[in-house]
Amino acid sequence: MQYLAGVPEHRTSTGLNNRKLLMWAFLGSDVMFFGSLITTHLIYRGQSLTGPAEEILNIPVTSISTFVLLMSSLAMVLALAAIQRGNIRGMRLWLSATAVLGMIFIGFQMFEFYEFAHLGLTPRTNLFGSTFLVMTGFHGAHVTFGVFWLWSLVFLSFKGKVRQDTSLDVEIAGLYWHFVDIVWIVIFGVVYLIGAYGVEASDAAHAVAGMLS
Amino acid sequence: MATTARVGILQRPLAPTGVWSWITTVDHKRIGILYGVTALIMFLIGGLEALAIRAQLATSDANVISAETFNALFTMHGTTMVFMVVMPAGAAFFNFLIPLMIGARDVAFPRLNAFSYWLFLFGTVLMNVSFLAGAAPDSGWFGYAPLTANTFTPSASVDYWVLGLQVLGLGTLIAGFNFVVTILNLRAPGMTLMRMPVFVWMTLIISFLIIFAFPVLTIALTLLMFDRFFGTNFFAMAAGADPLLWQHFFWIFGHPEVYILILPAMGIVSDVLPTFARKPLFGYATVVFAGAAIAFLGFGVWAHHMFTVGLGAWATGAFAVATMTIAVPTGVKIFNWMATLYGGSLRFQTPMLFALGFILMFMLGGLSGVMHASVPVDTQQQDSYFVVAHFHYVLFGGSVFGLMAGIYYWFPKFTGRMLREGIGKVHFWIMLIGFNLTFMPMHVLGVLGMPRRIYTYSADQGWDLLNGIVSAGAFIIAISLLVFLYNVWTSLRNNPRVTTTNPWGASTLEWSIPNPPPVYNFAVVPTVRSLHPLWDEDANPIDPPALPPVDARAIHMPSPSYWPVVLAGAITLLAAGLLIWKQASLPGLVIMMASGVLMLYSLFRFAVEPATEPVHGHGAHGAAAHH
Amino acid sequence: MATIHDHAAEHGRHPGVRQYITIAVILGIITLIEVGIFFLEITSWLMAMILLTLSLSKFALVVGYFMHLKFDDKRFMALFVIPMIAMVSIAVVLLAVFGNLTR
Repeated sequence: MQYLAGVPEHRTSTGLNNRKLLMWAFLGSDVMFFGSLITTHLIYRGQSLTGPAEEILNIPVTSISTFVLLMSSLAMVLALAAIQRGNIRGMRLWLSATAVLGMIFIGFQMFEFYEFAHLGLTPRTNLFGSTFLVMTGFHGAHVTFGVFWLWSLVFLSFKGKVRQDTSLDVEIAGLYWHFVDIVWIVIFGVVYLIGAYGVEASDAAHAVAGMLS
Repeated sequence: MATTARVGILQRPLAPTGVWSWITTVDHKRIGILYGVTALIMFLIGGLEALAIRAQLATSDANVISAETFNALFTMHGTTMVFMVVMPAGAAFFNFLIPLMIGARDVAFPRLNAFSYWLFLFGTVLMNVSFLAGAAPDSGWFGYAPLTANTFTPSASVDYWVLGLQVLGLGTLIAGFNFVVTILNLRAPGMTLMRMPVFVWMTLIISFLIIFAFPVLTIALTLLMFDRFFGTNFFAMAAGADPLLWQHFFWIFGHPEVYILILPAMGIVSDVLPTFARKPLFGYATVVFAGAAIAFLGFGVWAHHMFTVGLGAWATGAFAVATMTIAVPTGVKIFNWMATLYGGSLRFQTPMLFALGFILMFMLGGLSGVMHASVPVDTQQQDSYFVVAHFHYVLFGGSVFGLMAGIYYWFPKFTGRMLREGIGKVHFWIMLIGFNLTFMPMHVLGVLGMPRRIYTYSADQGWDLLNGIVSAGAFIIAISLLVFLYNVWTSLRNNPRVTTTNPWGASTLEWSIPNPPPVYNFAVVPTVRSLHPLWDEDANPIDPPALPPVDARAIHMPSPSYWPVVLAGAITLLAAGLLIWKQASLPGLVIMMASGVLMLYSLFRFAVEPATEPVHGHGAHGAAAHH
Repeated sequence: MATIHDHAAEHGRHPGVRQYITIAVILGIITLIEVGIFFLEITSWLMAMILLTLSLSKFALVVGYFMHLKFDDKRFMALFVIPMIAMVSIAVVLLAVFGNLTR
């Protein structure tokens, strides 16, 4: 993101790069965004009055899309490793792979939403539909933005604007991409697996309460 | 794409003066002035709303305005004063002053800074357009859902409120990121964290509060937006939603917000008092850590706004204790300020008067506030005028008095001219008297049982006399503001330029450079060796006197840019398109798609544009050289 | 872990390609275990805790290695972990207040 530069890059007081610090501050802030959405979903868990809820979640299919997103993170670090060694073609290849895997993930999500609508679950159906679809949709929007970002980097690399000396651009995009991945790790674990498990959250809470007392 | 870059309006603007130079500016000082002027205009609008409210409540069974108008006015008065006056006024100070105080030439991301301002302005305009559309928000400034859900407020009023706040809030968030990075990373050599002026510290803390608290508001607003526009069920009681969800989210944001509003004033006062007492701030480190403690604890006290909703004994008790705890660091600060005054050689010039007014009025507000930590007392006072009195003592007696101290103190830094001392003192006393006449009787009214947000009351309640005094006080405050405006006008017109760089004899770095500062702020980036660089100047000169004259044209400053205002405009248009979509789906859809494309395009251009135009850099900021 | 760290120290701040692939394989295996546990259909809080722990370990691996937080400046860690702690605390309090933990 040399091209995103603010003030010319000189020595900073902390020794930390301005844009990298900005990205980490943003990710800290984004924790609060996703945290609020996931909390809303958990608060309304089991409160839906009508329509399908957790039982509708398709774990096998989502396991595959989760794996796809995990592998996109691998492709992302490989892209960074490539550009840090000055291998622009390698970077381009891995960045494209990351973006394509991200697009496949989005495809899975569209398929999931379509299936849910088919089974009678839309954001308007019940509380589960509202919280689940807005939360995962917000995550999908993050992935989509990331895909745009990655293709922009590929595009700019052809104009010679992504180089070994500007590998920070790729690193920062990578931070964003991995963050989107870890948010999905949490959603897959907490919302899909535990959520659809039939394990009442209360059981877990009793366990915690038992340990504390 | 690339060819359009240098054609017509899209050519990078390089002229140093004129309207376009302001619209495309990335200079933190100009952006600070834009924030300040906007906040002042909104202060007058919000004040007029308050006057209409007080005209209606001056007597019993009055008919000055209708109940509906009354609801819209108190809603917009609250929303305006919080989001469009006190917050941007704070932003005006930290935009203008932070780089000067830490010895930097600009903020870390100058174009993002301009982007923040335009989002703030457009969000403000979007929300206030609702008056013209005859659908002003009327559900209270904290917009409690489900009252604000479609079922109970079908009109477009809440739509304006939600979307206006979203746009404005995005600007605030981005400003928060910018100042975190600026303060941490752009400090001059030797400016360690514990050598930063208290105002810089408070700004850093506020910025952290913004980036961690605003997302919660954004999500709450998003959920409400989805409910209102797309028929989701987050606040639909019929679908089993919980009526307390909004309240929790709003106050998880809302309590840190309270500190976002007061900490700038605390920072200003902590810098004004030492200057006018001619001695260093008592317990600098304590004041800093107290500020940090307030911010940290601020995330754990939100439910004290909800004691009457029935949270259960444990939750209520825990939040009551947390609330009492947060009073401790606040009290510590007040003792520090008083100890700063003790034994100092005090000069009672206008900034000092406002700073002292701040301490006294804020203390009263704090005392009535900590009463609410006691659950039985809070239950008694909930939604009464006692609460109105409390938060006005904190927000007006605290924030506004503190900001006024800042305006009088730094006016020569902003404009190169002092404000008139005599008129300033008249302003202070009228404001102090008017303020106390307005808000002191409200305590009594609250205890007598007058609920807030009622548009009229009957004569047999016996509230007439006190309400009459309150309304008279409100108009006295209005007079004091006219005096202030006259002071600004006449001072700008008639006062001579200040000749010294440090007219108050202050100790901080911003007073080491000319008034107003040149575009590049510091000809040579200073090296700081103490907490009071200007007071220790003899021992540790900031700029060596033997310094060779600097060619200002050799200093590279970021170039102006269209993209911040275009991108902010596209985002606002997207929000406006959503509003229109609800009334007429096709035109709304077209506007949203067009603005979405414009948004992505301008975002890309924003991102790939170099901060400093290669052909530029030296020349256009040659204007700087003439200062 | 130790070898990964040594390697990172050798090559400056970042682990190498082999380590990245190793991490990815571990991530994949953990996901498989998670899904396997899910299909065991043993309804108990213990399984929920195990799932939560597995998710957290995936989280830690991605943040620590792919985002380099393990090797990077500790102040980045603070900037990320502090809101994390705040948000988790707020979420737990909210779930308790809304009765989700006792329902």
